[in-house]
Amino acid sequence: MSLAENGSFSMFGKRQAEVTKPALDWSKAEHGFLLKIFGDWQVRHVRRIAKEIKKLRCGTGKAGNNQLLIDMSGINSLDTAGAMLILDMKEYLTAKGFVADVINAREADKILFELISRHPREKISTEKKQSMLLNLVRDLGETVVSVGRDIIQITAMIGEVTTCILGLIIRPWRFRFTSLVHHMEHAGLKAVSIISLICFLIGAVIMQQSIEQLRAYSAEYFSIDMLGVLALREVGVLLTSIMIAGRSGAAFTAEIGSMKMREEVDAMRALGISPVETLIVPRILALVIALPLLTFIGNMMCLAGGAMIAYQMMNIDLQSFVERLNDGVDIRHFYVGMIKTPFVAVIIGIVGTLEGMRVRGSAESLGVHVRASVVKAIFLVIILDAMFAMALTSMGI
Amino acid sequence: MVAQLQPTAQQIIEVRHLKKQFGSQIVFEDLNLDVFEGEVLGIVGQSGGGKSVLLRCLNGLERYSGGSISFYGQDIAHMSGRDLRHVEARSGLLFQDGALFSALTVLQNIQVPMREHISLPKNIMDELAYLKLALVGLPADAAHKFPSELSGGMRKRAGLARALALDPKIVFLDEPTAGLDPIGANEFDMLIRDLQRTLGLTVFMVTHDLDSIFAICDRVAVLADRHIVRTGAPHELAKNPQHPWIEAYFCGNRGRAAQNSE
Repeated sequence: MSLAENGSFSMFGKRQAEVTKPALDWSKAEHGFLLKIFGDWQVRHVRRIAKEIKKLRCGTGKAGNNQLLIDMSGINSLDTAGAMLILDMKEYLTAKGFVADVINAREADKILFELISRHPREKISTEKKQSMLLNLVRDLGETVVSVGRDIIQITAMIGEVTTCILGLIIRPWRFRFTSLVHHMEHAGLKAVSIISLICFLIGAVIMQQSIEQLRAYSAEYFSIDMLGVLALREVGVLLTSIMIAGRSGAAFTAEIGSMKMREEVDAMRALGISPVETLIVPRILALVIALPLLTFIGNMMCLAGGAMIAYQMMNIDLQSFVERLNDGVDIRHFYVGMIKTPFVAVIIGIVGTLEGMRVRGSAESLGVHVRASVVKAIFLVIILDAMFAMALTSMGI
Repeated sequence: MVAQLQPTAQQIIEVRHLKKQFGSQIVFEDLNLDVFEGEVLGIVGQSGGGKSVLLRCLNGLERYSGGSISFYGQDIAHMSGRDLRHVEARSGLLFQDGALFSALTVLQNIQVPMREHISLPKNIMDELAYLKLALVGLPADAAHKFPSELSGGMRKRAGLARALALDPKIVFLDEPTAGLDPIGANEFDMLIRDLQRTLGLTVFMVTHDLDSIFAICDRVAVLADRHIVRTGAPHELAKNPQHPWIEAYFCGNRGRAAQNSE
């Protein structure tokens, strides 16, 4: 307990005067050498201590079985860091050939020395040297394996969800209607404003740019056709689904992931509640219902943005704009855009919930999977869109 | 078993008339408590009675509504930022589940306070961290594991190693044995006792565990009816409770069993 009293007054700045700097003094004695230790050997002074020890290492010459006394009487306070460094120094000097002994150590300091020498301070290195090429090959292999695992798991999840939905058709009373409405509100209704805004702006930008380009051929009137086809076929769907992938996909992963972290999902299983039925199916169905509706709103806002620019730049009023749209743009373009939405919704829902179920114990894992969920969902949405575009165009639709 | 307190033992912490309220709900008021150098002080009290809030107030994690807290005779309310940092560096806190940073390995966790408060050469910092790891009884191969790969008991030990990283004068432990099996809890008690003796620590411990109270606490302070109703050696309180809650706590079946096993 006497140890605790040492240096306790050095806690505050104004008592700082009582702190003495750690120092070493090397001198010749009768039967060899004497090493005196002074000052506060505390963790806060380790830099200075290390410097002193370095100086000493340069200063000591050949030992030749000389006796060395390490005198602790000048020490003011000692903690584990200081004691560890003294022991290290003693070991080093012993290795050099000195017969080192510690003298005049206080009782508390002896206990500390004993405690530290009792515990090994072995280091375990984790750094394994590997060639860059080998690492590259290994990373490539790992990526391929993880993509393969993704494909299998997404397929399995689609199967599981389908089975669950079929089961719910037989026993519809088990369906979580409240949960469905809740998720439709959060993923659908609350996204209306942001999706309207970005679609309106992008519609306006497309219109403005196409008028600028087509004006050179005096064909700016056809920019309305172009906007119609682009917005209805591609832009409305893509903007909406990317927004929803970032917004709701990430939310699904975070919600399910944090439940997974606190073992709530396991608790559900233990209570005989199916997580697929309660957590996953309502979310996916909510998206399947909400995403087409949002896409429709997005489409309309895209056209509205275009109409505004058409009025401003070409002085075409709303009625003429709609007439031109009606003449120039076939309704099939609208269907092509809308047919994609349920598929996109399923992909976002599956990826978001699947990544949520993959979360393990730590907060870091949650972050990793939320990021993976957004990246994968957006990537797959774009792939799906490209596949639809190629297939439908080659069919002449 | 109970170590003799030196008559000259110095007060490390002095709490006077401390009051804490959340909205209109008063957690405690007129709370007085002294913590002496080199003792193991246990705080017991009802669940939700404000023990953890008191611990958080002492560590500056929670603002108190009135009264004063002094470290070495200086009121923390009047300390400069620099002095407060000194106090922080001189006290260690072990949270209930370790509260290790999940993105860092155990070794990096132990080195966080070293990096934050002082600058150390890398090799010494590594050696020191391995030493702390060994002191709390963790194997060296746990150093590069992440907290999620450790068991509850190991996480607590790692948390204690982090709390001890800067050789604090005082460590605050929040329910150190909660969630451990009896063997693990007993080992942890003995570890705290050993470290307290060899490192000359002062231990401030919030606990429910009757066994650890009788095994390692020099003094117990009872927080009931919104203030500290009694302090004293555990056996003294058990023999002469003077308060219905203390009687229920120490003289119930579990209390008797813990005393007898002692």
